[in-house]
Amino acid sequence: MSLPTSIPNRRAFLKALSASSLAAAMSGAPRAFGEEPVMHPEATADCCILLWMAGGMAAPETFDPKTYLPFEKGLPVERILSTFPAIDTSLDGVKISSGLEEIAKLMDRATLIRSHVQPDLGSILHSRHQYHWHTGYVPPQTVAAPHIGAWMSRVLGPRNPVMPAFINIGQRLEGIGESEELKAFTTGGFFGSEFGPFNLPYPDEAARSVRPPEGMEAGRFTNRYKLYRKLVDGSPNREFMSDYQQESMLRSMENAHRLLGSKEKAAFDLSGESKETLAAYGEGRFGRGCLLARRLAEAGARFIEVTTEYIPFVHWDTHENGHVTAAALKREVDGPIARLIRDLEDRAMLDRTLVIIASEFSRDMMIEGVPGSEARDQARVKSDTLENMTHYGLHRHFTGGSSVVMFGGGMKKGHVHGATADERPLIAVKDPVSISDLHATIFTAMGISPKSVFDVEKRPFYATEDGKGRAVKSLFA
Amino acid sequence: MNVLKPALVFGIAASVANGAVDFAHEVVPVLREHCAKCHMEDKKKGGFSMNTRELLLEGSEDGVVVEPGKAEESLLLEAVMSDDKSDRMPPKGPRMPAADVDVLRRWIDEGMAWEPGFSFGEAAYEPPLKPRRPVLPPAVAGREHPVDRIVDRYFADHGIDRPAPLGDAAFIRRLTLDLTGLLPQPADIDAFVADRRPDKRARLIESTLGRNVDYAEHWLSFWNDLLRNDYQGTGYIDGGRRQMTRWLYRSLVDNKPYDQFARELLAPPDDESRGFIDGIQWRGRVNASQTREIQFSQSISQTFLGLNMKCASCHDSFVDRWKLDDAYGLAAIYAESPLEIARCDKPTGRMAEPKWIFPELGTVDGDAPRPQRLEQLAGLMTHPDNGRFTRTIVNRLWQRMMGRGIVHPVDAMDTEPWNEDLLDLLATRFVDEDYDLKKALAFIASSAIYQSESVVTEEGADLAVFRGPLAKRLTAEQFVDAVWTITGTAPGKVAAGVPREVDGPQDGLQAKWIWSASSASANIPAGEAVVLGKELFLPSKPVDVRAAFIADNAADIFVNGTRVAREDGEASAPIARSLTIGNFRAGKNSIVVVARNGGVDPNPAGFTFEAHLRHDDGELQVVATDDTWKWTSTLPDGNGRFARPPFDWQAAEVVTDPKVWTPFTAGLSDMMTVGGVPMVRASLVPADLLMRSLGRPNREQIVSMRPDNITTLEAIDLANGEALSGLLKQGAVNLARPGVPVPEMIDDIFMQALGRRASAEERALLQQGMGRRVTRTAVEDLLWLVLMMPEFQFVR
Repeated sequence: MSLPTSIPNRRAFLKALSASSLAAAMSGAPRAFGEEPVMHPEATADCCILLWMAGGMAAPETFDPKTYLPFEKGLPVERILSTFPAIDTSLDGVKISSGLEEIAKLMDRATLIRSHVQPDLGSILHSRHQYHWHTGYVPPQTVAAPHIGAWMSRVLGPRNPVMPAFINIGQRLEGIGESEELKAFTTGGFFGSEFGPFNLPYPDEAARSVRPPEGMEAGRFTNRYKLYRKLVDGSPNREFMSDYQQESMLRSMENAHRLLGSKEKAAFDLSGESKETLAAYGEGRFGRGCLLARRLAEAGARFIEVTTEYIPFVHWDTHENGHVTAAALKREVDGPIARLIRDLEDRAMLDRTLVIIASEFSRDMMIEGVPGSEARDQARVKSDTLENMTHYGLHRHFTGGSSVVMFGGGMKKGHVHGATADERPLIAVKDPVSISDLHATIFTAMGISPKSVFDVEKRPFYATEDGKGRAVKSLFA
Repeated sequence: MNVLKPALVFGIAASVANGAVDFAHEVVPVLREHCAKCHMEDKKKGGFSMNTRELLLEGSEDGVVVEPGKAEESLLLEAVMSDDKSDRMPPKGPRMPAADVDVLRRWIDEGMAWEPGFSFGEAAYEPPLKPRRPVLPPAVAGREHPVDRIVDRYFADHGIDRPAPLGDAAFIRRLTLDLTGLLPQPADIDAFVADRRPDKRARLIESTLGRNVDYAEHWLSFWNDLLRNDYQGTGYIDGGRRQMTRWLYRSLVDNKPYDQFARELLAPPDDESRGFIDGIQWRGRVNASQTREIQFSQSISQTFLGLNMKCASCHDSFVDRWKLDDAYGLAAIYAESPLEIARCDKPTGRMAEPKWIFPELGTVDGDAPRPQRLEQLAGLMTHPDNGRFTRTIVNRLWQRMMGRGIVHPVDAMDTEPWNEDLLDLLATRFVDEDYDLKKALAFIASSAIYQSESVVTEEGADLAVFRGPLAKRLTAEQFVDAVWTITGTAPGKVAAGVPREVDGPQDGLQAKWIWSASSASANIPAGEAVVLGKELFLPSKPVDVRAAFIADNAADIFVNGTRVAREDGEASAPIARSLTIGNFRAGKNSIVVVARNGGVDPNPAGFTFEAHLRHDDGELQVVATDDTWKWTSTLPDGNGRFARPPFDWQAAEVVTDPKVWTPFTAGLSDMMTVGGVPMVRASLVPADLLMRSLGRPNREQIVSMRPDNITTLEAIDLANGEALSGLLKQGAVNLARPGVPVPEMIDDIFMQALGRRASAEERALLQQGMGRRVTRTAVEDLLWLVLMMPEFQFVR
């Protein structure tokens, strides 16, 4: 499939297809700031897939293993740095944590950052750190900050005009804890909903999002729209509808029905995959999300996030029983991620697709709970020694050094950046990379200047905070 | 030349040079700090002004000072770097730090980018603070309304043709949606169109604004957006934020005067209205510009003054005159403990002093305790000379009614309105009418320009020039309310915190038909008038009163000496009329009805009335015509008052044979709605995915204007989203009654949704598409088709 990648093409598509984005600009906040022409860097990637380890993935249990000590009753907690042994990878001299055997085989294609750091926002709400990581701005903000996917959608648009540019897979936004906080950053922000996420919380049901409503066969759906067009054109009030806002609404309806009637919509449907492929990606929602991401990337989406899903105290939010939970999560993500990378490689897409594994912060071994305290446990009872298996694991939020893995998209193959201390505290001791700089790196790879700026309420709002993010040049191949 | 005028500059491209110096944040502070004394505003030493890029490039008396791209050759850089004290700039004080010099060097080398329209000089437009009474131009073509007199002059000056007057059916739809957020009922549309009275539009405006609950439940969304009030969201679970729904709901039902409304928000008399100034207590560490104190500063400035304190919350603003100390001055009024000023999140060591931003109105006593400071602030905000306060709100109302502000965006109140006289007229009149929001809306709605066809705008049209009303997109709540109304699918429950009760009278209407004699259903002389009366004692002033009546044939209804309704009986058959009554009070109340029989020969006469009074504590009281009412032949005066209490009050009689009115009474119970409780409105429930998708905001930030375009993602939700398709499916079950002819079904839905019947062409198209029989799927599709018409989705 030939896809538009360069900016002039993107412009042409935008102009042709989405005058409603112009309407968004006309209607209020966003506008470009200053009068300089666009000078974006040359892109090394056309598509970005963010694999989000929601809840705080402990680096020492995954991509930055430290001294391992097996569980032993009475062991002093302060001696434990990792609860898994390290394993060799395809990259000489670089080890990662056991449980990630499939990814280990691919580390010679990866760029591994071990010195990602976040500010400590009070170590409380995950959603605040996730907001920071996803928008580049620490909440609260006086205007609604756009998600990085919305920036890509706003500045680059979709690669294939039929496809939504920004797709968000695996995160439910209703019926779970902190859902309002999640919604606050899962958004186009001041860019408006045109640039916001197309949410697909259940990958297996994604096809329903682009299918006619339940119980309506395709023929009826198509006829309904045909009749609609005739009705609009024949309306005695047609002249009022020539208003640009109303025309833009009709264009949006056209775009929606074009997607819903397109061949690309097949990309949303996992049922066409072979048994072998489905098995390789696994039964879990994350695995299925990775498979869906691959299909959507093939069909021309610009930015896709797949999350293990944030739910307070669940998944990577291991406040107790961390070892067991981490082992289960690694089983859930290892195979699918590795398969995704291989699939992209087989399809010759990896070079132009930037895949990122990241999390809002890391974790450190510590038991800090007191009986009856609210933060649900922190392993139930504070203790300086391991007394039972639920104590064994990394439970404490830690922002001083976490790991990010990147594949493809112009990044180096088989490269390690930065390092954390070998002894507690496991802070980044070499080449720390802030969220701003990491975003600048991602944006630069995608061909977006980290200083891209829009004016909202008379103030400049930059792609990276204050336009200060600097791409880590040494990561690029 | 203007200080930044962003409203005029649009573009969709992300700009910015890679690695370029940021003019607003880096260059402006350097130039301002080191050069302002001699080369900015009205100062131009050596004939050199730096106010604009053009002036800077023009140079001094001695020639060129700087050229883009040539930093090292420039006199500017040479002067600031010079080691010779007599040449060095600035001439006094310490030399420019190397970092600042570097900023200038890079900026010059990169081409000296300048914010379009930016000037270091005075803004050409400084909004006046004091209220001003404009002189009205003479009326043109009999258009006496003050708004029209100004607009007519404006149109003449700009060579703009006045838009055509709006037809009746479109007017009732626009007005009802604008004031109550609801669609007009088909019967009301027909009755309004058929009404021949010359003042019917004025009557409609009055009666629509009289629907207190409908009004309140519509404007609740407007205020929730402006006050950051919601049913759920950040802060509510952990006590970091407080709902104001009860206070707000009642304030709107009561049409609380806006000055009092603002005072209760700024200096809360109790906990009910304090959520606005308290803002959101975020968990964990937040930026200094997001503390509760600074939120207070930003929120009161934006909501009440249309003024942006966000820049100045971190540093002196680069785009307007507000300074860091102004933002902190307001914050300190609220602060409970000493507040240190932070610049860009770094403590400065200086402490903030409580300070009001318009000293010409007065000051806040910094030594007074906090409640007093807030009282003083509330007094200054609502000071009669604070024209900014009134201009801001009337501009918001104008924007809601007309599609665009007189100042636009509505939160940029320091920019120039397209017509100062109009803004001032609305603002001064608003004060003259005691800050009555409904009267302000009525004033706009009664102008000929509001009652004009909406202007069709083209892409890229210059909207800063006023041409007439613009079509407005339905808000998320309006859309959902309309769908619920048409399909009968509204939920049963409101969110916790809404002071609206769901229990209504259980067994239908209680009202009886009464007259002076029980035989009235047979033959009462034409023109006979009787006066019906009822005294009632109320434990408290009801928070909401909905009522409906039918008179055979005419009636004037007075409550406590004020007329609340008039039916002139000109219609060919008795018609049910609804009204809301706002002047019941605690204690004794009187209802007086002057009822007249119509016709030529003796004919049936009767009157039936029912009112549902909702009390503060949720108690519902029903007042209905029955044999406890009295009658007299003594006529009251024009206000329903008796010079002397009539001595001949007798018991009214329930008419023995009310069947003659059966065909007309159905309308009465419809008006009082099932169970006496109106439909649950979208504004009263937490946002669902559909509303969110259609633009109901997450209320962590103040929102003063909703998005006005419908995006592709929204269109996908509308085309196949589960929420809407579920409602339509249920709606089809409710509506698809067997035996209803297809054309009737089509007209019915058209009338409800669009306020008009289908054209022959439309009917033919739809009938062809739907087939002959009314099936559920056909109704479902019909509903979707009509709801997706831009004609439906926009208020025009």
